[in-house]
Amino acid sequence: MNRNILTLMGTFILLVLLQVMLFNKLHLFGFINPMVYLFFIISYRFDSDQTLFIFLSFILGFTIDFLSQSGGAHSISALTIAFLRPVLIRNAFGVTAEIPTNFHNDSRTLNKTIFLAILIGIHHLLYFTFVFFNWNALYLILKNALLTSVISLTLIALLSSLYKKLNDS
Amino acid sequence: MQRILNALVQFRNPILYLVLLGFSLLFLNSRSSFHQSQLEKYGLYVSQSLYGVSHRIGSYFQLKKINEKLLQENQTLKELELKSKGIPLYQNALKVNRRFPFQVKAAHVIKNSFLNQQNFLIIDKGSENGIKEEMAVITDRGIIGIVKSVSDHYASVISILNQDLKINVRLKNSAAFGTLSWKGKNPIDFQVEDIVMNAVLEKGDTLITGGMSSYFPMGIPLGKISEFERDVQSGYYTISTELFEDPSQVYYVYVIENLDRQELFELKKELPQ
Repeated sequence: MNRNILTLMGTFILLVLLQVMLFNKLHLFGFINPMVYLFFIISYRFDSDQTLFIFLSFILGFTIDFLSQSGGAHSISALTIAFLRPVLIRNAFGVTAEIPTNFHNDSRTLNKTIFLAILIGIHHLLYFTFVFFNWNALYLILKNALLTSVISLTLIALLSSLYKKLNDS
Repeated sequence: MQRILNALVQFRNPILYLVLLGFSLLFLNSRSSFHQSQLEKYGLYVSQSLYGVSHRIGSYFQLKKINEKLLQENQTLKELELKSKGIPLYQNALKVNRRFPFQVKAAHVIKNSFLNQQNFLIIDKGSENGIKEEMAVITDRGIIGIVKSVSDHYASVISILNQDLKINVRLKNSAAFGTLSWKGKNPIDFQVEDIVMNAVLEKGDTLITGGMSSYFPMGIPLGKISEFERDVQSGYYTISTELFEDPSQVYYVYVIENLDRQELFELKKELPQ
C-alpha cells in the first residue's frame, strides 16, 4: 500500500515536471503541445476512491496551470475528465463486461484505445474551449483539439506500453 | 439532519466536482483579464436576457394600467391640440390670452352599433363624471357623435353613423364649409353637401370640423375627399369622403364640453328665426 502511494506521488510529480518543463515548450509544428499529464488520470486505479481521485486530478491541473501561467483551463478540463471517468470506463469497456482494475493490465487494445480517445478528446476540447473562450474561434478550437489529441494519444499509448513493460519486468 | 448528511455523502463526488469547478472558474477569472472580460460579457448577456424576459412579462401585465395612464395623458394633450387648432376661430391679433372654452374627458365605449340607419353608442361615463347632454364625443382621429342622454354612470351617444346627424365641416386649406352626413352603408363612407361651387377642391383634400355648431371645436381632422361632382343646377358640390376613423371600431373616446354653450344658446334665441 505504501509503495502504491509512493508510486502515485512519484508519477504525479514526474508528470507535472515533464509537462511543464518539456511538453509545454515543445510547439510541435508550431502549435501542438501534447498533454502527457493525462497519463496520471488514466493510470490511476479504476477501483480506488473516486472522491480522492477527483481532488487529485484537480490538484494536478491546478499545479500545471500555476506553473505554466495558464489561466484555469488545465484545472477545469482535468477535473471534468476525472469526474466523467467512471462513465467513460463503463462505455468503453462495456457495462456488463468485466471492468479492469488497472488500465495498463487490460489486454483489450480496441477498448483501451476507445477509452483513451474519448478521454483525451473531451479533455482537449474543453481545454481549448477555455483557452480561446470565444465562439468565433470555433474553427481554431476544433483544429487544435483534434491535432493535439492525436499526438497526445500516441504519446500516452507509448508511455502506457513502457509502463507495462517496466512493471512486468 | 442524518438524511442531509447521507445525501451529502452519497453525492460527494458531484458536489466536490462543482465546488472545484467553481474554484477553477474563479481562478481563471482572476488570472487572465481576457477571460475576465469574456466572462463578464457572457454574464451580462445572460442577465440581460433574463431581465428582458421578466421585463416583457411584467410589462404585459401592466399594459392595461399603462393604457389608462396614456389615456389620461392624451386627455390633456387633446385639449392642447384642439386649442392650437382652433387658432383661426379664436384668433386674437393683440395677443391677449385667448379663451378656449372646451374641456376634454376620457371615456370607453361599451356598446357600439353600426348596422342600423340610426346608430347609438354607450360610454362608461355619466353625470357623476360630469357628462351632460349634447356634449361632443371624439377620438384621436375624428369625431364619433353627440351625447343624447345621461344616467349616473353611463351616457348614450348618437353616432355619426346616423342619417339624422349633420356635422358642420370645412376644408382645411380653404374656409368653404358644408354639412357632413352618413351615406348609410359603409361606416367610413360619408358625403358632404352645401359647399358652394366657387370654392376650389381637389381629390385628397382634408376635411376638418368647422367650429360653427358649438358642439365641436374647430379643426378636428375628419377625413379625405375621395371624389366630388359639380352640380351645376344647384350650384353646390356633391362630395364623397372617407373618414380617418372607422366609427364602428372605437374603444377609447374623449367627451368634449363646451363651457360657453349656454351663452351661445341664449344669444341664438334672440336671433330672428
